[in-house]
Amino acid sequence: MAVRAETVPGWQRGKVASWLVTTDHKRIGILYISTSLVFFCLAGLMALVFRLQLSQADAGVLSAQHYNELITIHGTAMIFLVSVPLLAGFANYLVPLMIGAADVAFPRLNALSYWLFVLGGAILMLSFFANGGAAQAGWTAYPPLSEQTPGSGQDLWILSIHVLTLSSLAGAINFLVTIHNMRAPGMTWMRMPLFVWSIEIFAVMLMAILPVLAAGLTLLLLDRGISFGPWDVQTHFFDPAHGGAPLLYQHAFWFFGHPEVYVIVLPAFGIISEVIPVFARKPVFGYKAIAASTVAIGFFSMLVWAHHMFTVGLPYALQAFFMIASMVIAVPTGIKIFNWLATLWRGNLHFDTPLLFALGFLSIFVIGGLTGIYLAAFPIDWQVHDSYFVVAHFHYTLFGGVMFAIFAGLFYWWPKMFGRTLSERIGKWQFWFLFVGFNLAFLPQFFVGLEGMPRRVYTYTNESWEGYNLASTIGSYVMGIAILLFVVNVFRTSRRGVRVGNDPWQANTLEWYATSPPPPHNFDDLPPITSARPLYDLRRRLRGERGERAPA
Amino acid sequence: MRRLLAPAGLALVSAIVAPSALAQFAPVTPESPNADGIRSSYLFVTAFTFAIFVLVEALLLVFVFRYRRRKRPRFEDGADVHGATKVELAWTAGPVIVLFLIAAFVFVELPGIKDIPQATAGEEEIDITVTGRQFYWQYEYANGAIAIDHMRAPAGVPVRLEVKSPDTDVIHSWWIPALGGKIDAIPGTTNETWFKAEKAGTYSGQCAELCGLEHARMLATVEVMPRDAFTAWLAQRKSEQIAGSGELGKEEWQGVCAKCHGLGGQGGIGPRITGAPTLADPAELAELVRNGRRAMPAVGAGWTDQQVAALVAYLKESPPSGS
Repeated sequence: MAVRAETVPGWQRGKVASWLVTTDHKRIGILYISTSLVFFCLAGLMALVFRLQLSQADAGVLSAQHYNELITIHGTAMIFLVSVPLLAGFANYLVPLMIGAADVAFPRLNALSYWLFVLGGAILMLSFFANGGAAQAGWTAYPPLSEQTPGSGQDLWILSIHVLTLSSLAGAINFLVTIHNMRAPGMTWMRMPLFVWSIEIFAVMLMAILPVLAAGLTLLLLDRGISFGPWDVQTHFFDPAHGGAPLLYQHAFWFFGHPEVYVIVLPAFGIISEVIPVFARKPVFGYKAIAASTVAIGFFSMLVWAHHMFTVGLPYALQAFFMIASMVIAVPTGIKIFNWLATLWRGNLHFDTPLLFALGFLSIFVIGGLTGIYLAAFPIDWQVHDSYFVVAHFHYTLFGGVMFAIFAGLFYWWPKMFGRTLSERIGKWQFWFLFVGFNLAFLPQFFVGLEGMPRRVYTYTNESWEGYNLASTIGSYVMGIAILLFVVNVFRTSRRGVRVGNDPWQANTLEWYATSPPPPHNFDDLPPITSARPLYDLRRRLRGERGERAPA
Repeated sequence: MRRLLAPAGLALVSAIVAPSALAQFAPVTPESPNADGIRSSYLFVTAFTFAIFVLVEALLLVFVFRYRRRKRPRFEDGADVHGATKVELAWTAGPVIVLFLIAAFVFVELPGIKDIPQATAGEEEIDITVTGRQFYWQYEYANGAIAIDHMRAPAGVPVRLEVKSPDTDVIHSWWIPALGGKIDAIPGTTNETWFKAEKAGTYSGQCAELCGLEHARMLATVEVMPRDAFTAWLAQRKSEQIAGSGELGKEEWQGVCAKCHGLGGQGGIGPRITGAPTLADPAELAELVRNGRRAMPAVGAGWTDQQVAALVAYLKESPPSGS
């Protein structure tokens, strides 16, 4: 590797330049994670602004247009610029290390993925300054509304997602080829870390669903009308006045949109499956069941999209099909939750911040999962659909689930990435602020939704909704404090964090065999891989050689 | 094993008490059989979800408390348990049974939710066409009478609603929580729903699908009144409409014009129109509302002459005050 370093041209060796031209999966992973955390803060700030508008009836903080722009970009950014790339960042950093490879299969393609993500993100965020403001038809962008809004915001929104789609597709191909071809000797499928399993399915799903989204958005763009020099193109795919069908878009969007939820949730599950065993000092309970349930969720998630469309007047037989298919997903999800619980059972639990976040994830995600049953049962959905009940439900899965898992992962792998641990003391404060703030923000939304408050309203006149909304707003600011604590923790750690060794948690998977941070080529050698816990086996063998008794 | 009995017992008790204890956290008090069927289904599901919630959270707390490290060394191994096939099968089969029960309950309730009851002797089914438009609801009765935003309907009679939106408009969603679930008003499609309210009263709801800037102001109310009073109102509305007088003009001003221009015409997301000459010029007003102009959409596209006349008459009688 020293030889290769000398061949790097001088201008690429600078502190900033070396990051700009890097093709190292670890650096790209860190870039992904840090960039998405910046977008996370931006999209979170948007939420704090519109929560202020909703804190009381008839508030005058935001105009209707600004409100609609903010919710649209908040939702779009949280999905496309935060959840997916954050997890892609983890995958970038961890997959090669976990399977004992030196890098991903296509390092340059990997760099391209990242820079396309930056481009797509910049387009979306800068669209606030476009003629007519940012897109304002919600993150789902249903036509005809999304075809009738004037200005360039909606077009830039489509462009941004097209770019992000390319980025994700290139990333997915890279992960898939890497996992299939670059596993170290001995790393069979049934010895792969569960996080890598989740990324395998994540990648397969992205490749299956992103083209459908891209097609739907291209039709939307053509319907809005585009000009190529002398040619004006104006189609009517979704325009009923010219024989088009607005529902066609909804099918295309949700064929992508629902699996997308699992694209995000599965790697979060993967993180939980890595964290819990390490802090319970036990092997994960039911490795095969968890891996199989990941595959099952990936498969069934592509058969449930129309449960987002129960109120459009689909034939009842179809609604029944989509209800049953949606309920089927609850079974593998339940399997995971019970297996994690069983992993805690008879463990030796040490409550470091990663475990706290993982336990927070478990306790919150259960609510997200269970409330999904109401939405799957289509007559009940007719009542709660598009109300704040739904808003609460998906925040319980996507924030309470995914973001808690991501924080568990950040605290867990931070010492690997940077050689220093984040402060446990600040981390625990952050956890409690986030846990309390989150539940205060989103639990009341179930109730106000049941009382009839629809989502995406910039104002309301019903004063009996005020209490719930005020609680929600206060909760969102408590969450804001938690995020601020995390930012403080990151900056404090970069200067004062405790330096730790290669394997501070005494973990099980290969990444902990490398130095912290690992060298560019990751490993000089690898321990033998004879189970899903090569490092556990290694420690055991070393203890045996030293003649120590294995701990009971 | 005995330790697990406590969470399991707790879950069982929760399943039994949940429907009554959590009844306030359910869809609003139903006033129509379809809303009632939805609410029963909701409470049935709650019995299971709450029990599972209690079971999982109780297990979590018990494990966290029971298996915390205490005085054991930091990295001492826990039990060397890798899994158990029988347990895996149990927690696969358990949820399958629960979901089967839920699905079965939903299918039993479904006919009472979706099917409009047969009108019995002595009562007559009422048909109303509901058109969702940016940003108002227009109701058309069988005799041609029209109302905006505020629907009147007879008590004790099945009311069938045909829900749609003009081809040039966007998607809206009709939702009066006390009178049933929502159904989308989609351009190019006609959907159907119904309600049958026994109790006179006014039930409110609002558009549930983002439809543009004033989506939040697209409120709807349904006033259920005694049958005789309704019949009288319907006939009166019809004759007023022909005469070009009555409440319709006011409803149009408040429901159609004022949502963007303000109740006094003082301006909102639309410009100030108090004193605008167009308001006093019937021909120009008709042309404006039917075809729109610049940023203003054609809010009255497809309006009948009677509808336009009602607005003209109202504006003549009470021109917007400016505040």
